[in-house]
Amino acid sequence: MASGTLEQPPKDLEVSRRPRPSRWVWAWTYAGGLSVVVVLLILVGYLAAGAASGEIDRTTLLTASEWSPAHSAYGSLAMIYGSAVVCVVALCLAVPIGWAAAVALSEYVPPRLARPLRLCIELLAAVPSIVYGLIGIMVVRPFVAQVADVTSGDSILAAGIVLAVMITPTVVAVSVDALAAVPDRYREAAFSLGLTRREVVRSAVLPIARPGMRAAVLLGLARALGEAIAVFLIVGRADGHLPTTFGEFLDSLVHPGQTLTTKLAGPEPVLAGTSGPHFAALCTLGIILLGLVATATVWGTYRSSRGGADRGSQPHWSMARLRTQRDRLALWLRISALLLPGALLVGMLAILVTRGSAAFDPSFWFTPATGSVGGGVSEQVLGTLLLVVTTGLIALPLGFGAGILIGVRASTRTARLLQTLTVVVGGTPTILLGLAGFVILSSAMGWGRSWLAGAIVLVPVVVPVIALTTASRAMGMPPELTESALSLGLSRTQLIRSVVVPYAWPATVTGLLLGLARAAGETAPLLFTATVFFGASALPDGIVNSPVQALPTHIFTLSQDSGDPQAITQAWGSAMVLVLITAVLLSMAVVLRNRFEGERWTA
Amino acid sequence: MFRRLLPQIHEPDQGGRKVASQVRGERYLRRVACAVLVLASFATACAESEAGTGAVQVSGSTTVAPVAADAAEALKAEGLNITVATQGGSAGGISQLGSGQIDIAMSSKPLADEDRSTHPDADFVLTQIGADAVGAIVTKEVADAGVKNLTAAQVRGLFEGRITNWSEVGGPDLEVFVYDKEPGRGTREVLDKYLYGDKKAPPPPKSDNFSIVGGNLETRNKLKSTPGAVAPLSTGFTEGHNDLAVVTLDGIAPTPENIASGKYPMARPLYLITDGEPEGESKEFIDYVLSAEGQKILPKHGYLTLGQIEE
Repeated sequence: MASGTLEQPPKDLEVSRRPRPSRWVWAWTYAGGLSVVVVLLILVGYLAAGAASGEIDRTTLLTASEWSPAHSAYGSLAMIYGSAVVCVVALCLAVPIGWAAAVALSEYVPPRLARPLRLCIELLAAVPSIVYGLIGIMVVRPFVAQVADVTSGDSILAAGIVLAVMITPTVVAVSVDALAAVPDRYREAAFSLGLTRREVVRSAVLPIARPGMRAAVLLGLARALGEAIAVFLIVGRADGHLPTTFGEFLDSLVHPGQTLTTKLAGPEPVLAGTSGPHFAALCTLGIILLGLVATATVWGTYRSSRGGADRGSQPHWSMARLRTQRDRLALWLRISALLLPGALLVGMLAILVTRGSAAFDPSFWFTPATGSVGGGVSEQVLGTLLLVVTTGLIALPLGFGAGILIGVRASTRTARLLQTLTVVVGGTPTILLGLAGFVILSSAMGWGRSWLAGAIVLVPVVVPVIALTTASRAMGMPPELTESALSLGLSRTQLIRSVVVPYAWPATVTGLLLGLARAAGETAPLLFTATVFFGASALPDGIVNSPVQALPTHIFTLSQDSGDPQAITQAWGSAMVLVLITAVLLSMAVVLRNRFEGERWTA
Repeated sequence: MFRRLLPQIHEPDQGGRKVASQVRGERYLRRVACAVLVLASFATACAESEAGTGAVQVSGSTTVAPVAADAAEALKAEGLNITVATQGGSAGGISQLGSGQIDIAMSSKPLADEDRSTHPDADFVLTQIGADAVGAIVTKEVADAGVKNLTAAQVRGLFEGRITNWSEVGGPDLEVFVYDKEPGRGTREVLDKYLYGDKKAPPPPKSDNFSIVGGNLETRNKLKSTPGAVAPLSTGFTEGHNDLAVVTLDGIAPTPENIASGKYPMARPLYLITDGEPEGESKEFIDYVLSAEGQKILPKHGYLTLGQIEE
């Protein structure tokens, strides 16, 4: 792109000295924005075509709770209820803890300690959902069974708790980025007025960081709504449970239920064929799920932006008494909120290390598998790396472009629309992406099982994360930077190239890492498009019919269906390998980011 | 950081911008070129070492997959390239074979009439490689308290949510918790056939103590952690797990003799299916699984060999 301008004739000195017009900036950002829209159109088109392929009664689908394809009963109310309750439980637990921990990390903990802690949080966000599912079975199910005094811990509540554990790191990591973008001079000004730390945070820091922290919650919600595999293992997957009274509602929390994603992740999409009422009902479920994500997003953005305006115009009412005591209380609450994810990390690492000790034997990494459960996992490691690197290469420019477009170019209304679309794409259950990829890439385009199809299917997982983190950082850019750049005579494109891009870059790297971490652990989309259980060569030599083996699908198959005791060792060892790989990638990138980010931006 | 930004803004006026970006661009290009070279060399190295084109593609039942993978591994040494996938279970494998996407389908159920009618062009040839018995598995606590045998009517009552306490079938005063397999699983079809014959199974009960499970390992884990649980599960998966017990069905235990004679009601054959008689590398693969060496794989995964059921 940039090399074209290097061909300019050297004699035209006056012109060559002028800054380059950088028109490619628009092409790039619009391509990014367009990619989000195109993904959404493809998904909706595929689902709508599927929903129209069979005759079903759509009113019954939304109002009845009985689901039994063998008896042509398609009612999804109980699943919608399950999805909603699971997400509400997860958010109620994760958001207060996540926000408090983020504030503690950014405002209370000294930077020397905060950096490694931030790395730990990002590491937690990188743990693949299949591992959360395995740990949910080990820890959360017995816990719920004991506390609620029920026979089996398979329940909606257990699913909500596991989801809360899963999304807390996402909420913290993205919120910390938003808090870190608040210029220090606001804090300094507030402190110099004699405010306590709690008051500084409340009146000076939070109002500026709020959009970013809101994006964090939306990302968390999107992940909770779209998660299939971890919920799948502990929700019980029992259809048709719908409470009618409040007592029954409380009772239903600790009993098995079903969510929209677990229904779609089950065997039914494969059994339903590609047309007919069963397939149409499942596609409608997909549309409902997309609709729910969209509703939550629109509602979230609208409500919090209005609330923000109200609060800005209204002075804080503050009690003069007990200021120090309340300050101290806030300190303890926030620090203990930070300790919780820390304790989780330690606990999970302990489980992983004790059960997955095979991963510490280097030969496990570098020898290929022997038989179905013996030997090492070198093929799976290479396959996972290939998928992640390819996905990252495709997703980075698209997500970065879309983020810049949302953060800088678009008007408030367009920005909100684009942001909404982005979160909707990010919340798409990956199982839907996998099915769409299977239908379009593997079948219609004839790629069969192909590593490239897998990488492409993972791109929509990563792009929204990059776009949202980039956008929220670009939106939080101090206006002075824009003003001084424009007053120096920079055009809008040059402003983006020379000021916005370097300013937003650290957040983009965070987004890329969080996104790739999620993509690396994705199981559902790969099962359909890219991976086989055994026999693929370590690195493919083509595109058509060139499958790979990947760690998450390997773990999934082993943990579901093998009778050999060695399989469990192999599964936990592979899980540990997957976590270690992400940890190494993350640490490298955090070093890189810290160098980019340097000190906080002040003006 | 802001200081670092300032020169970037001023650079164009000093005329140094272009040179700097040119250098940066070259460095970037060089880096990309290096990365491409490294990737390309990896790819070619891999292509050279494993140039076996036209690998035999095997897909289908997750029950048969470990056996097929072990056999494929053994044949790899002889230069045979075989991939094993498990998308869609038995039914998925058969439909992929019917549409010509794979060479061999794995199945833990016999062909249904629908399979043949959906793919009229395909000439499915079934080769049985072994057998598996599905048991009604209960926890040791329940078995020790007296539940050693269940009749078909009792099993039906349990899975339809009509029997909610073990004391109703001669067991302890303990709530029943039912784990049923998800639809399409071979295990579930075996149970449905035992309970309902050719009739359709009723919809799942609206009981609070009813939950759906997927794979065999998941089923076993959940059985072990739930007092009073009952589930259909391949009996091979309970060997060496003393906290689980296999009950006899109508007084018949899942012994190899009873499975071979067909007396035990919940046994199922394991198949490799081809489109037409197996030929070439597919035949080599199936022949290996049927050989004495290949049959040794089956007991390793908890299944019965052809020899065991024919005795």
